[in-house]
Amino acid sequence: MLEWFDISKRFGAVTALQGVSFSIAPGSVGGILGENGAGKSTLMNILFGLLHPDAGSLRVDGRVVLVRSPRAARRLGLGMVHQNFKLVDTLSVLENIALAVGRGPGLIPRRRLRRQVQHWTDQLGWRLDLAEPVGRLTVGQQQRVEIIKALCAGGRWLILDEPTAVLTPQETENLLDSLRALARQGMGVIFISHKLAEVRQICAQVLILRHGRTVYAGATAGLSVQAMAQKMIGRSLEPLTRAASGAGPSPQPRLELRAVCAGGGRRGGETLQRVNLSLQAGEIHGIAGVAGHGQDLLVRCLLGALRPTSGEVWLDPALGHWRHRVWPGACIPEDRRREGLIETLSVQSNLMLKDYRRRPFSVLGVCRFARWRQRATELVERFDIRCRDLSAPVGTLSGGNQQKVVLARELADTPPLILAVNPTRGLDVGATQFVLRQLLAARYAGAAILLIHSDLDELLSISDRVSVLYQGRLQATAWPAASRDDIGRLMLGV
Amino acid sequence: MAAPQAWFLARRTGRGFDWIVTLAQAVAACALVLALVLTGLAVVGYSPVAIVTRWACGAAGGVYPLTSSMVEACPLLLTGLAAGLTFRAGVLNIGAQGQFLVGAVTAVGLTTRWLPAAAPLVAIPLAIAAGALAGGLWALLASVLERYRAVPVVLSTILLNFVALYLIRALLHGPLQAAGTAAPQSPLIPARDWLGVLIPLSSFHWGVPAAFLVAVGFWWFNTHTTWGFETFAGGLNPAAANLAGIPVRARQFLIMFLGGGCAGLAGVFQVLGVTHFMTASFGDYGYAGIAVALLGRLNPLGIALAAIFFGLLDVGSQRVQESTLALPQGVADVVKALVILFMLLLGAYLARRHLQVTSLPEAAPPASAGAAGPPGSGN
Repeated sequence: MLEWFDISKRFGAVTALQGVSFSIAPGSVGGILGENGAGKSTLMNILFGLLHPDAGSLRVDGRVVLVRSPRAARRLGLGMVHQNFKLVDTLSVLENIALAVGRGPGLIPRRRLRRQVQHWTDQLGWRLDLAEPVGRLTVGQQQRVEIIKALCAGGRWLILDEPTAVLTPQETENLLDSLRALARQGMGVIFISHKLAEVRQICAQVLILRHGRTVYAGATAGLSVQAMAQKMIGRSLEPLTRAASGAGPSPQPRLELRAVCAGGGRRGGETLQRVNLSLQAGEIHGIAGVAGHGQDLLVRCLLGALRPTSGEVWLDPALGHWRHRVWPGACIPEDRRREGLIETLSVQSNLMLKDYRRRPFSVLGVCRFARWRQRATELVERFDIRCRDLSAPVGTLSGGNQQKVVLARELADTPPLILAVNPTRGLDVGATQFVLRQLLAARYAGAAILLIHSDLDELLSISDRVSVLYQGRLQATAWPAASRDDIGRLMLGV
Repeated sequence: MAAPQAWFLARRTGRGFDWIVTLAQAVAACALVLALVLTGLAVVGYSPVAIVTRWACGAAGGVYPLTSSMVEACPLLLTGLAAGLTFRAGVLNIGAQGQFLVGAVTAVGLTTRWLPAAAPLVAIPLAIAAGALAGGLWALLASVLERYRAVPVVLSTILLNFVALYLIRALLHGPLQAAGTAAPQSPLIPARDWLGVLIPLSSFHWGVPAAFLVAVGFWWFNTHTTWGFETFAGGLNPAAANLAGIPVRARQFLIMFLGGGCAGLAGVFQVLGVTHFMTASFGDYGYAGIAVALLGRLNPLGIALAAIFFGLLDVGSQRVQESTLALPQGVADVVKALVILFMLLLGAYLARRHLQVTSLPEAAPPASAGAAGPPGSGN
C-alpha cells in the first residue's frame, strides 16, 4: 500500500498543496487529475523526493518513510516516468537502462540486465531492440524504455506523468493495456493525466486536485467524464462547436507545397516524399500522423530552416516572396520553451518579440517602451494571461499562460497565414480549449491555418480538411466524410 | 538551450530595483574578499591598518593618485566592454587582448611611420578611427570563421590573441622597430600626437572621460535601441529569436565588431595617452577586461564601476609595493580573482534561492474567474 496523508506544501505566500491524502493498493491503477498548476507536479515531486512537504507523511506498506532524494524514492520501489523523458539519446536502450539501475562504479552487468529487460518485455509483449540508440526510437518506444527502466530499477510503484500526451490513439490503447497488465502482476500504478476519458477507462480510484486542494478522492465508477471535468476545473465545460456560418475556405490558395522532397541523406531518418499540400484562406488544414513520420521535416521546410531537396514551395505573392529562412506568417512552435519564448525575458518583451521593430513601438531604431507597455497590457487583458506583472520572466508562468503569451504575440493581429505545431502540448483542458478557440477565431477572421497535431481528437474537432503523414508521404482524407477510425488506420499505414 | 553566459547577467526577477541587488552583491563580494585578504596578511605579520591606509592614499588620496587610478581604469573599461557586450549577445569573445594589441599597433604605425607628417588634428582622429576599426575587424575575423567554417568563437578568439601577439612582435622587430635599438620596440610617438592631458602634471588624458562616455553610450544602446534588444534576445535564446524574425547572426556580427572596436580603442588610448610607444609586452588589459565584464555583470555601467574598482586596486597595490611595507607583488591580482569568484558564488547562491521561490505554480487564481477566459475573446 502506498499512502500519503495530509500533505501540505507552501512556496512563500503560495499554497501549492493543502492537506492532500490518497492511497494506492498494489495491483491497482490510481489516477491523479488536475489542471496545470493544480499541484500535481508538486505532489509527484514530493513523492519522488525532489521536494519536501511542510506537513504530512508518506507510508509505504504501512511504514512511515521520509523520502529525502530521488535515490531514496527509488530504493523504496517508486519508479517515475517523467513527461519529458530522462534518456540519453546517443546511448543504446540497454545503456540507458543501465544508467538507471547501476549502483556505483564498476562494469555494467550486461548479461544480467539483458535478462531482466527480457523478462519485462516478455511480460508486456513488447519488442525492443536493446542495441538501438534511444534517439532513433519513436516517442512511444522511448516511453517503453522509460517504463522498463523504472521496472528494472526495482520499481513496485510506477508513477506516470501525463504518459499519453505524446502518443497516438493506438499507442495510447497499447499503453493502457500494458498498465493493466502491470497492475495484474501486483504493481501499483499512478496515472497522472488531464485526459479524463483515459483516467475513467483504467483507474479504479481517482484523486482530483484543484488549486492544491482535494476536490474528490474515491472511486471512478459512477463518475461521468463531465462530472470529472466539472470537479477539475470548477465549472462545466462548454463543448467546442464550430459556428455554422463563417467565411469558409476560399478557393484561392495562400500556400502550396508542390512535390516537396526532403530529408533522407546518409543518416537515414525521416523523409518527406513528394508532398503536395495546399492551404486556403479561411480553413484549418490538419495534418495528422504519428510523431516521427516527417512532421519535423515539414515544419523545418516551411520555416525555412531546411531546403527541400526537390520540389517547390509556392506562396501567395500578396504575402510577400518566399525566401528561405523566413516564414511569412505566424508560427506557434511545438516547443514553446525552446522556440516560442525566451524564458528569462519578461512577459512584456516576449509579447513584443515580433512587433518591437514596427512603428509605433520603435522609431528609427529607438524603442518606445511606453507603447510596449500599453500594447502588452492590452494583450494580457485580451488573452487573459495570468502573470504577476509585465516584467515577470515568462519562464515563471504556468504552461498554459506561457502558451497564451505565444498566442497573443502571434495571433493578435489576425495574420493571414498560421503554422501551429502541437499547440496544446502539455496544456490542461481549459488552456487547450482556449488555444483551439483562438485558432477557430483566426480561421473565421480569414486566416489560412496549417495545424500539425498529434492529438487526433483535437485535430478532428477543429479541422476543415485533414491529411495524414505516414512515412513521409502525405495523404489527403475525405474528412469530414471519413471516419475517425479510417484516419487512425491511415496513420498506422494499414 | 539556455545560453551559458546567462549566469553572469544581472539578476532579472522582474521585481524592480534588480540593479540595486546586483550592486549590493558586488559590493558585498568586494568587502568580503578585502576582509579575507587583509586577515590573511595580518596573520602573516603585515599590519592591515598600514596596508589599507597606504593603499587608500596611493589609489585615491589626492588628485594625482585618483587620476592615475582613473587612467588605469580606462583601458580596463574598454576591454571590459569588449567582453561584456559580446557575452550579452551570446558570443563568447575571449579575444579582447588581441583586439587591444591590434588597435594599439595600428595607432603606433599611423603616427610614427605612415602619417608622421600629418597635423595632429588629422592624425589623432585618424589613429583613433583606424585603431578601433582594426580591433573590430580582428574580432569579426572570429565571427566569419564561425559562420563559414564552424569554428567556435571561444577558440578562435583565444588563438587570435596569440596571432596578434606574434604579429606585433614581428612588426616591432621589423617595420615598426625604433632606429638604433635591437629590442622589439617602436619609436616614440611624436609628442604632438599624444592625447591632451586634462589636469596639468597628471596623466589624465581626455581618452579617460571619452571611455566613460562610450560606456554610457553602450548602456543606452543596450537598453533603448531595437538592436540592443535584438542582441540580448538573440543571446538568451537564438532559436526563439530567429523564429521571431530577429536576424541573430547579423546582430552577432555587429556586436562583435563593436566589441572589438572598444578593445581596439583601449589600445589606441593606452598608446597615445599613456605609454607613447610600444613594446612586445604592452600590458594584458584584454584578459583583465573579461574579469571586469563579469564583475560588472555585463552591464556597461556596472563595467564602468568594476573598471574603477580594478583601477584603484592596481594603482593602490603598486604604491604599497613601492613602500616600505614590501607587500608581495600579486596580492592585487589575488584580490581581483577572489572578488570574481565570490561574485559568481554569491550569484549562483542567489540564483538557486531565486529559482526555488519563483519556479512554482502560479498563485491560485480566484475560482470565479473562468480559467480559459471568455470564449471568443481575442476576436
